[in-house]
Amino acid sequence: MDVNNPFALYKWQALFDARELFIDGLTTTLEVTVGALVLSILLGIVFGIAGVFPNRVIRALNRVYVEFFQNTPLVIQVIFIYNALPHIHIVMPVLLIGIIGVGVYTGAYMAEAVRGGIMSVSKGQLEAAMSQGFNYWQAMWYIILPQTKKVMLPAMANQAINLVKNTSVLAMIAGGDLMYQADSWSGSNMYYGPAYFTAGVSYWIICFLLSKYINKLEKKAEV
Amino acid sequence: MFLSKKKLMVLALTAITGLSLLATGCGSEDSASSSSASSSAASGDIMKTIKDRGYIKVGSKVDVPLFGYKNPDSGELEGFEIDLAKAIAKKIFNDPSKIEFTPVVAKTRGPLLDSGELDTVIATYTINDERKKQYDFSMPYYTDPVGLLVKQSDNISSIKDLNGKTIAVPQGATTKKAVEDAAKAAGIEVKFAEFPTYPECKAALMSGRASAYAMDTSNLAGYIDDQTKILPDKFAPQEYGAATKKGNEALAKIINDTVKEMKDSGELDQLLVKWKLNK
Repeated sequence: MDVNNPFALYKWQALFDARELFIDGLTTTLEVTVGALVLSILLGIVFGIAGVFPNRVIRALNRVYVEFFQNTPLVIQVIFIYNALPHIHIVMPVLLIGIIGVGVYTGAYMAEAVRGGIMSVSKGQLEAAMSQGFNYWQAMWYIILPQTKKVMLPAMANQAINLVKNTSVLAMIAGGDLMYQADSWSGSNMYYGPAYFTAGVSYWIICFLLSKYINKLEKKAEV
Repeated sequence: MFLSKKKLMVLALTAITGLSLLATGCGSEDSASSSSASSSAASGDIMKTIKDRGYIKVGSKVDVPLFGYKNPDSGELEGFEIDLAKAIAKKIFNDPSKIEFTPVVAKTRGPLLDSGELDTVIATYTINDERKKQYDFSMPYYTDPVGLLVKQSDNISSIKDLNGKTIAVPQGATTKKAVEDAAKAAGIEVKFAEFPTYPECKAALMSGRASAYAMDTSNLAGYIDDQTKILPDKFAPQEYGAATKKGNEALAKIINDTVKEMKDSGELDQLLVKWKLNK
């Protein structure tokens, strides 16, 4: 292979020598992934239920949240938190921006998955439960939610996978994640072939393992 | 299932045929460009490729005033490096307008050369050993030290005041290394935050995410305003050269000859005066 080949052997050697950097990046990516995933699921459940709540004001809250975060680019949201909020003296560390930014963004999609799940259960179920003396929350918890898993899990799984890849938005704000390290390292020496290949394979492995795990959950939930 | 097996099969086949048609559509273009790339591998042929094409493909900056800058009023590219590129086109075609400019940023300069998308990059490209391994550079046509842009309200007067602080640098530039060395020499430690573009570096400085924005001084000059200043400390003179892909020696020679002739004849100095870069 000649020196111009993006995948020339000496570039792989350089990547191996710089592995610490990439492991650092991978660790950050995993930290943000876990934090954002937990946050997005919590937000998803809360706002998902809010979306079908009898009270109109609470339903409106769900719409505002979902429509705002679903319809603006994640990149803008994250750059806003990073560069605009400090002007009003809110300075968050980048790791936290990653968790909050990606978590809140994905939470909007999770909320829609939860809402869709609840709406897939026929209205009669709630009415029947309440006629038997359940209150709203009891009916939701014991009767409705268990029946929503079938619809919800696959949709939420999709969002979880997207979340992993979306953490790469941190590269835009010097977040120190895997994508940033690949960008930064390959930008300085132009060994972009191995850098992006390795980053891509790493994301693939994370997503693949996550989807395998969710498959297991789905089987357990007898979806 | 509401679709019969047969219907599904037909649907799948249609999809596959459609996709493969698309793929061959792109593929034919691919093979054309790769054949031209492989023919250019033999030195000398690159000149034939360029002459047959009728123009030279140059990567330039569009966001660096005085060097390569797209004038928002006229929409025209202008600057020292743009004029230099025109001189090269004149040398090859006897016509300075036979150029196709492509905007590049620090990070895209290498990949665009590698793929053959560009014949040469004339975009404040600093010559260094790592890059010389992969690309041929002309003799330097400009030398520019690295400077530090800071906020006036931060009371920073020299590089020593930046101990423990974060410095914004553009990705894919040699600046980080230069500042690292300068910090070491000054006996201080600094952290770095790298951003894809120059405006993002400036935004990080203004929001307080970074205490300084380090870049070649002439680039920085375009980003001074009444809230910021450039520190007197300047270091690591960066030599700019026009880069070509290894294996295209014939083109590298013509470009180098052009720069040399312009230097010898004083034409280069006149250009520097024209763009007020003669310090």
